[in-house]
Amino acid sequence: MKFDNALKKKLLKKLKSYMNAEAEQLQQEDEGLSKVLKKLKKKEKHLKALIAAERDEDVREMLEQELNVVHSQRKKGITLLSSLRKKVSK
Amino acid sequence: MRNTLRKVILPSIMLILAYGFWVSPDFKEISAGVAIFLFGMLALEEGFRAFTGGVLEKILKKSTNKMWKSLTFGFTAATVMQSSSLVSVITISFLSVGMIGLVEGLGIVFGANVGTTTGAWLIAGFGLKVKISAYAMPMLVFGVMLIFQKSKSMKGVGYILVGLGFLFFGIHHMKEGFEAFQNSLDLTAYAMEGMAGILVFTLIGIIATIIMQSSHATLVLIITALSVQQITYDNALALAIGANVGTTITAVLGALSSNVVGKRLALADVLFKVCAGILFILFMQPMMGLVDGISSVIGLADDDYTMKLAVFHTIFNVIGVIIMVPLINPLIGLVTRLFKSEPDIHAQPMYLNEASLEFGDTALEALRKETARIYEKAIGVIAKGLSLDKQDILSDAKLKQVIKAHDKAVEYDIDEVYEHEIKSLCSAILDYTNRLSVDEATSRQVSRIRLANQSILITLKDVKHLQKNMLLYIDSENPHISAEYNRLRQRIAKVIRRLENIRSQEVTATSTSILSLDALKLTLEKNMSLLHGRLDELIREGHISADMAISLMNDSNYTYSIINSLIQINHNHLKSEEGSETEAEHLIALNREEINSVLSDEREAAERR
Repeated sequence: MKFDNALKKKLLKKLKSYMNAEAEQLQQEDEGLSKVLKKLKKKEKHLKALIAAERDEDVREMLEQELNVVHSQRKKGITLLSSLRKKVSK
Repeated sequence: MRNTLRKVILPSIMLILAYGFWVSPDFKEISAGVAIFLFGMLALEEGFRAFTGGVLEKILKKSTNKMWKSLTFGFTAATVMQSSSLVSVITISFLSVGMIGLVEGLGIVFGANVGTTTGAWLIAGFGLKVKISAYAMPMLVFGVMLIFQKSKSMKGVGYILVGLGFLFFGIHHMKEGFEAFQNSLDLTAYAMEGMAGILVFTLIGIIATIIMQSSHATLVLIITALSVQQITYDNALALAIGANVGTTITAVLGALSSNVVGKRLALADVLFKVCAGILFILFMQPMMGLVDGISSVIGLADDDYTMKLAVFHTIFNVIGVIIMVPLINPLIGLVTRLFKSEPDIHAQPMYLNEASLEFGDTALEALRKETARIYEKAIGVIAKGLSLDKQDILSDAKLKQVIKAHDKAVEYDIDEVYEHEIKSLCSAILDYTNRLSVDEATSRQVSRIRLANQSILITLKDVKHLQKNMLLYIDSENPHISAEYNRLRQRIAKVIRRLENIRSQEVTATSTSILSLDALKLTLEKNMSLLHGRLDELIREGHISADMAISLMNDSNYTYSIINSLIQINHNHLKSEEGSETEAEHLIALNREEINSVLSDEREAAERR
């Protein structure tokens, strides 16, 4: 029985992705977390700028609250990312 | 079988009618009258539909949000139009397009019943009768002109005028057709004494009013007959009772083209008038004594029977309303049981179909869209349940002002919408998800959608519980309790508005929709602890009673649950699609302990300052 080259390549790719499924998933999680963390960093900066410009006490308080939340989210995200990377390196 | 029957019945009815038209011109006239009348009802409903969510709806809501206001509204309208049945018909159209609720509708009908007594006084005193059919033609002309205009409200007014024109026109033709029978109505032929006389004349009153399509016309007939002593005073009173029952025929005809709510109102109107009629027949003698007493107080002569008839008519309607107003809720319960509504046509799933079941991604998209649709509906229900308006909540207006503008409690049956719309849609979603065969990743997303739908149901149930005391307290005379309940309303409205902003957020470099919900969770926890503090103070200072405190405690828990569920719905629905970023957002989203920890950090920082 003979395989043509294209089919061989396809089957090998499938096998490789099957063998590396977990690694691939971890890679995807890493990418996702990194992207979101970047967004959160930008959001933090943006909120800080808004707070500095805001004159209304109530609105500023709300923005500050949001900033605290974003800060905590970032902290959580960084912890998650570092533990994920540790897992990958093992 | 049913379809075959349908195919047979309609042509048969048409054939019978055609034969009737050939045989009797009067029958043709009456049938045409009914047809024109029904068409008028359709036009009227179309007209009022143009004003739903607009100025007319606001005016109507404001002028009917209390029972006394509804009664006054009905009374004034019937006095001006000189026809309680027309007011009932217009009320049915208001109801059919959802501009008012059944309670308000019944209030108007009851008020109109009292308003119709002014007609009795006019007829008895001056023999006057306002002839509304004379307005039909100008109404049709102006109405049609307005229908051709581009503006939606102009068109609406046009349809209303055309509708009224056709209603008057229809009644006119029915009357014309019945004239042949009217001439053979000789009341002396039935003269009878005692209870038998009362019963027979009540029946004659009913039939005469059905034939003449107007209780006013019957009243004229009664007064004329009474003045020439064709009938006795007792019989005249029985005729008046019968006229009151017979006048419901117009509302019943109007309800034919209406939806189930309109039918409920018509039935309630019939029940109200029949009950009042039976009551007055049973207590005829004491009532006559009361009429004599009142007549002598207002200086009527003992033998001035025509004016005494007007007094009786007024007492009859006023007492009827006084008795029925406290019984309005059982009456509504009864008609609702008798006329069960089918699931609304809008309650049919719009996006879920058999074809998309085969494709995981398409099915998911359909589920997401359907859930978004239910959420939109639910927000409307929540707004109404809180005596607010969805559009106002989502507007740019300050929420404090929005709450202030809606400071009156408005009854709204959440159960009705829940049972007939939301629940069936959610069941359709659950049923659809059960039929999906999907892989592990997709099943996670499906499960999120399912959770979002469950949260929608929980939210509505909570709003229903909250509504009970909220309606009692938002316009309470105790400013402390009303302020607290209005604060609860404002909190929910604020969350709905913020969620709407998050949902409509475009994908930008900083958009993290799921994570944006955490700020709302923080506000929720913060407000809850603030409320506990304030509640302690209110009790300590004696500003609110123990009962109020208990209600407030329970209702603040419901509010907490509503807001929490609203956040959960969005959490599960917003990003139910799979993707590395979405998953990361779900992972990073803060749980309750983490939110509380942010809150205590904030508190510590505030104390340090």
